[in-house]
Amino acid sequence: MYKKFLQLTKNLTVSLEKGLNFITTQENNPLYFHGALPLYTFWFLIFSGIMLWMYYIPTLDRAWTSVNYITSLPVLLKDASGQLLLKNGSPVVSAISPATGIPYGAVVRGIHRWGAAAMMITTILHMLRVYFTDRHRSWRWLPWVSGVLLLMFVLFVGITGYLLVWDARAYSLVVSTQAWLEAVPLVGQGLSTFFIGGDAIRDFTLTRFFFFHIGGATFIFWLIWMHFIRLNEPVVTPSRAVNFLTLGFILVAAGVYPAVNVTNDLIAQYPVLAGDKGFIASDAPAQIGYLVDVIRYDAWYLFPYYLIEKTGVNWAWIILGGSTILLFVAPFYPKDRRDNIAEVVEAKCTGCTFCSLDCPFEAITMQERAPGSKFKLIAVVFAPRCSECGICVGACPFQAIELPNTHSKTIEADVLALLKTGAQ
Amino acid sequence: MSELQPTAPAEKKKRVIVGFVCERSIPIHEMLDAQKALVDDPETKIIVLPCSGMVKPTQMELALANGADATFVCGCAMNDCHYRTGNIMIRERLEGERNPKLRKSTDKRKVGMFFFTMKDRRPFLDALAQFKASTENL
Repeated sequence: MYKKFLQLTKNLTVSLEKGLNFITTQENNPLYFHGALPLYTFWFLIFSGIMLWMYYIPTLDRAWTSVNYITSLPVLLKDASGQLLLKNGSPVVSAISPATGIPYGAVVRGIHRWGAAAMMITTILHMLRVYFTDRHRSWRWLPWVSGVLLLMFVLFVGITGYLLVWDARAYSLVVSTQAWLEAVPLVGQGLSTFFIGGDAIRDFTLTRFFFFHIGGATFIFWLIWMHFIRLNEPVVTPSRAVNFLTLGFILVAAGVYPAVNVTNDLIAQYPVLAGDKGFIASDAPAQIGYLVDVIRYDAWYLFPYYLIEKTGVNWAWIILGGSTILLFVAPFYPKDRRDNIAEVVEAKCTGCTFCSLDCPFEAITMQERAPGSKFKLIAVVFAPRCSECGICVGACPFQAIELPNTHSKTIEADVLALLKTGAQ
Repeated sequence: MSELQPTAPAEKKKRVIVGFVCERSIPIHEMLDAQKALVDDPETKIIVLPCSGMVKPTQMELALANGADATFVCGCAMNDCHYRTGNIMIRERLEGERNPKLRKSTDKRKVGMFFFTMKDRRPFLDALAQFKASTENL
C-alpha cells in the first residue's frame, strides 16, 4: 500500500518534470538540480550576511536602529537624467549619503531575506522530490537523516535571523519561544533561560541570538559535509542557465520587494510602502513587555509560531515533534529485499580502483592485500551502502565484481541467445 | 510490345538491434514480448538491467561482433539517474572519456545512447527509429 503510494507520487513527479523538459530541456530542468539549488542559494545568504554583519549592532537599544540604518534607502530606479526614483516614481533626496543609510543596503538585506526564502523553498522542494521518487530509503538513510537535520537548522537559523531585527515581532517571537520551551516537562524552565541567556532579556540575549544565527549557519556547513559524505561526485551547483535564473529571481525579488521595517516615518518618505500599514506595529522597534496584536508571519520560517498561536504550545510540540519523528524514520520503512549486493571475485580483482571511484554511494573501498600477493589492493564492498545498481560491474574491465543475480556471463549469454533468435 | 512486368520487391534483410535498457528509464517491462523483443519493433532485442551504468562497453562490442546491426543503451533522463550517476558513467565510457572505453576499432556509428524518463515510451521509439535509419546502410 505504502509502496503503491510512492509509485503514484513518482509517476506524478516524473510527469510534471517531463512537461518541464519540453521548455527547459533535460540539461537545464531546475527540478533535476533540486539538491544543488539549496546550496547555491546558501552562498547568497553567506555573502549578503557578511555584508549585513558589518553594520549590525547586537544590543537591545541599537539592533533595530542598525538594521534599519542599513535599509533606509529602498531605492532602485533611475530616470533618464540619472535621478534615482522609487517604485512609485517619486524622486529620492539622497541616494548615497551615509547619513541616511547604506547605498543599496535594502537590496542586500532583500537578497538575504529572499535568499533565505529561496533556500527554504528549494530545500523543501528537494526533500519532496527525493521522497516522491523513492530516493530516501535504505542505503540512502544518511543523506536523508542529515537532510532532516539540515532542514531543522535552516529553520533555526532563519528564525534567529528574524529575532536579530529586534522589532516588535521579534520580541513576540521570543516570548512565544520561551512559552514553547517552558512547556517541556522538567527541563523547560532551564531551556527557556538558556535561550535568552539568563532570567531576563538583556543585551547579552541579542549577542546570544547573533551567535545562534552565525554559529547555526556554520554548523550547516558541517551538516552539508555529512549530507555529501556517502555520495560520489555530488552535484553542488546547478547548470549555468538554472544559476542565472535563480540569481535573477532573488535579485528581482530583492529589488521589487526590498526588506524594510515599515514605519510611519518611512511611509511619509516612501508612500509606496503604505500598503503594508497594517504591520507597522509589528515592524516597530521592540519594547520589552509590549506584544503586538498582528504579527507579520513569514510562511517559510515562522510557521511554527503561527502554529503555536493557533493551537497552543502543547499541540505545537505534538505536531512539530511528531512530524520530525516521522521524517527521521522515513528511510527505514518499508525494507526492501536485498539479494543482489555486489560481490568481488577475489582472484580476478587487480586493485585498479575503477569500481571504487565510480560507485555512486561510496560502498566500495580499496584495501591492502596480504604481503606477497600478486596485486597490492583489493576492492571490498560494504553491503549496507550497496544500492545493487551494478555501476561497479560496468566499471570493472576484469569481470572482478558482479551482481550475483545479474551476472555478466548471464548477460553475455543472453546477448548471444537474442542474436541467435533474431537472425532466424 | 511486351508489357513491363512489375518486379517483386527484394526481400528486406532482417536486421537485429540489441539494446541495453535501464529498468528505471522507459517502461521497458511493458514494452517487451516473450522473446525479449520490443512489441513495437520486433527487430530490436532488449537486455534489461538495473541501471545503464552497469553496461560494459565490451558487451556492446560482443553484440556487434556476433551479428548485431547496431546496439544501444538507454538510461534515465540526463541529470536524473535513479542511482545518481549511471547514465553519466555510460555516456562517458561510450564517448571515450572514462574507463573502460569502447575499443577504437568499434564502429561508433552503430552504437547509440538514449536517455529518457519512464513517461517517454513514444519519444524513445521515435529516437530508436531514427537511430535504426541512420545505421541502415552501414
